[in-house]
Amino acid sequence: MDIQNFTTDVVVIGGGGAACRAAIEAAERGMNCIMVDKGRPGRSGATPTALWSIQAPFGARGRDERDSPDQFFEDMVRAGRFIGDQNIAEIVANTACDRILDMERYGVQFKKYDDGRFYQTPMPGQTYPRSCFMFENGQHMSTILAREVSRHDNIKVFKDFFAFHLFKNEGAVVGILGMDMLSGDLVAVNAKSTVIATGGYTSLWGFSDNPPTLTGDGVAMAYRAGAELVDLEFNQYYGTDVIWPPSVRGCVVLYELMIEEFADGEITDRVGNPIIDKPLPIRDEAIKTIFTVIKEGRGTEHGGVYFDTTKSPKGEKAVRDVFNTMTPKHYHFIIDAAGIDLVKEPLEVAPASHYQCGGVYINERGESSLGGLYACGEAEGNFQGANRLAGSALCDTQTMGAQVGGCAADDTKKCDLIPIDKKDLNSVVDIIKGFMTKKKKKIRPIFLKEEILKTMDEFVAPFRDGKGLSKGLGNIRGIRDEIAKISVSDVGRYNLELREAIEFMLAIDAAEITVGSALFRTESRGHHNRVDFPETDNKNWRCHSIVVRKSGKAEYSKRDVIYTRLKPDDE
Amino acid sequence: MIKAKIYRFDPGKDKEPYYQDYNISVQRKVTIHELLNIIHRDYDGTLAFRTYKCYKGMCTTCIVKMNGKVVKGCTTPLEIDSEVTIEPVENGTVIRDLVVDFKTM
Repeated sequence: MDIQNFTTDVVVIGGGGAACRAAIEAAERGMNCIMVDKGRPGRSGATPTALWSIQAPFGARGRDERDSPDQFFEDMVRAGRFIGDQNIAEIVANTACDRILDMERYGVQFKKYDDGRFYQTPMPGQTYPRSCFMFENGQHMSTILAREVSRHDNIKVFKDFFAFHLFKNEGAVVGILGMDMLSGDLVAVNAKSTVIATGGYTSLWGFSDNPPTLTGDGVAMAYRAGAELVDLEFNQYYGTDVIWPPSVRGCVVLYELMIEEFADGEITDRVGNPIIDKPLPIRDEAIKTIFTVIKEGRGTEHGGVYFDTTKSPKGEKAVRDVFNTMTPKHYHFIIDAAGIDLVKEPLEVAPASHYQCGGVYINERGESSLGGLYACGEAEGNFQGANRLAGSALCDTQTMGAQVGGCAADDTKKCDLIPIDKKDLNSVVDIIKGFMTKKKKKIRPIFLKEEILKTMDEFVAPFRDGKGLSKGLGNIRGIRDEIAKISVSDVGRYNLELREAIEFMLAIDAAEITVGSALFRTESRGHHNRVDFPETDNKNWRCHSIVVRKSGKAEYSKRDVIYTRLKPDDE
Repeated sequence: MIKAKIYRFDPGKDKEPYYQDYNISVQRKVTIHELLNIIHRDYDGTLAFRTYKCYKGMCTTCIVKMNGKVVKGCTTPLEIDSEVTIEPVENGTVIRDLVVDFKTM
C-alpha cells in the first residue's frame, strides 16, 4: 500500500454545502486549501438530498416585511428548546441573507417575485414565511457550489477520498489520513488547520433518508483525536419518509406541503383519520404524534402512516401542480422507481433518521476543543439544540461554512506547520493492513455495520428508555469486539469492502457515544424522548451534554448553554 | 431469478474486461442499484460500484449501461424473472468494474 504525502494551509474534510463554503472562504482569504470529498464533487454528502428550503430573514426584500434577523434568531432558539448556543445562532441569523446573495452570485437560482423580492415559503416554526426557494433543490445548490470551488486555483479537490484519521502532534491536529479510492493509495495531508465538514451520521440508523455514506466518519475522527462532542442524543427524525415500497424507501415526502397554500392533504392513520393538526407542528412534535399512532397499532401494513393528498379539496390537477413545482424530482422518482403516483394513491410514510443536531463542540469561530481543528455544518454540534427548523440546515452550511472557513484561514496565517508524527501514521497504517490480512474465522464488515444499524433502529429511536439504551450499549460493545475478525480482500482500486471496514471502525465509536449520550440525559426534550423520564427537566438539564475520550473511555459531563440575548421565559 | 451479466475489470491487474454471471433470486422487483447492493452483500464483496444515492433520481452517481443503454440505477426496476447486462458508462475512465471516474463534474 503506497502512501502519498501532501502539505497545505487548510484541509477541509467533506464535499457538501458546508465544506464547499468553508473552502471558498479560506481560499478567498489567500490560503492554499485541500478539500477532500468522499464521493463525486457536487454529488456528495447530504446536501444533494435537500429540498428547496433555505431560511433567510429578507424582510422587505422577501415575502414579509415584518421578518428580521432578530425574529429568525428567536425562532431558532425556541425551536431548539433553548439548547442551542446563541453566539452561534446570532452569526447564522445575522449573515444568512448575505450568504444567500453569495450563493446567487455563484449561480444558484432562487424563485423571485416579479419585482425582484425573494419568494419565501412558510414552514412550521417560522413566525413569518422565511424559506427561500431554490429551483431544483439541494442537488442544484451542490453542483453550483462545487463549480465555485473549482474556480479557485488555490483549492485542490481530492475526489473519491475517504478521510478516516486526524493526525495529532504537540497536542494539536495537524492534518488527515485518508484513502484515495480511485488509486487505492493512502494519502496523508499535513495541514496548519483542519476543518471537519463531514455532515451528520444519519445512516447509522437503518431507516434513514440520507445517503448511505454518512455513518459518522467526522464525529468519530474528532472523538478519537480527543475533541469534545456535544448533544449527540438529539438525532432528528423526519416525520414522513417513504417506508414502502423498498425501492423508494427513505425518499422524503414533505408534510410541510399539506397546508392549504400547497397540497391541502392529510397525514392519516390506517383508516384515514387525520392525525396531524393544522397549523402544522414543528418537527419534534410531528414525529412524536406519528410514532405514537404507529405504536398504538393504528399504522399501515408496513409500519407507517399515510401521506394522503387524494381527498384534497384542491383536486388532482392542482395537487399535481404543487408537487411538480415544489418537489418535482421526488415526485417523479417515486413514479419511475416504484410506479406510484402519490397524487392518485396514499403513500406509506414513517419517521426516519434525518439530521444530527449534535456534533463537534465549537465556539462561534468554529474552533473545537483541540488546537488546529474546526467544524462547521451538520458536523458541528452546539447550534441547533434539541431540534431544528426546516431550512436551518442549508442556511447553517453557508453561514457557518463561511464563518469557520474564514476564521480557520485567519488563524492559519499566524501559525507554523507542525509535522506529522511518524508513529501516529504507522499505527494507523498497521490497522488498515490488519483488515487485509487473512484470518481463520473471518467476518465481513458489511454484516457488522448492519448490526450497528439494527441496534440504533431498535434502541435509539426518538422514544427510548434506560433499559433499552443499556441493552443497546451492550450490543454495541459486543459488536466492537468482532473488529479483530474483519478480513477483506486487497483489491487495490475502489476497495469497497476496505472502506466498509474502516467505516465500521469509526461508526462503532459514533454509535457508542450516541447511545451513551442518550443514556446520560435523563429528561425528555426536542428529539430526545426518554420514556422513563418523560418530563422536560429545565432545572437539571437545560444544558449541553458533552462527551470526550479520556484514557480510551467515553466521559460524559454537562455544560451551560450560551445565552447572549434571549433567556428562557422562566428565568 | 434475475440473470445478471456484470462487467468486471481491474485496469491494474486484468489485461481485458470480462463478464461475470450472477443468478440472483429476488422476491419482488428491484432497481439496478438495489441489485448491485444485493450482489455486493450476498454474492461478491469485491464488486466495485458506487453506493451513493440521493433518493430522487437526480445525482446520476449510480448511472450504468443496462443492455447497452445508459440508465439511472436507482430508477430502473428489473422484473423478478429477467436477464440483464450491466456495464460502466463511457463518460470517463473505468477505475474498477462499474466505477467510473467521471469526466464531467
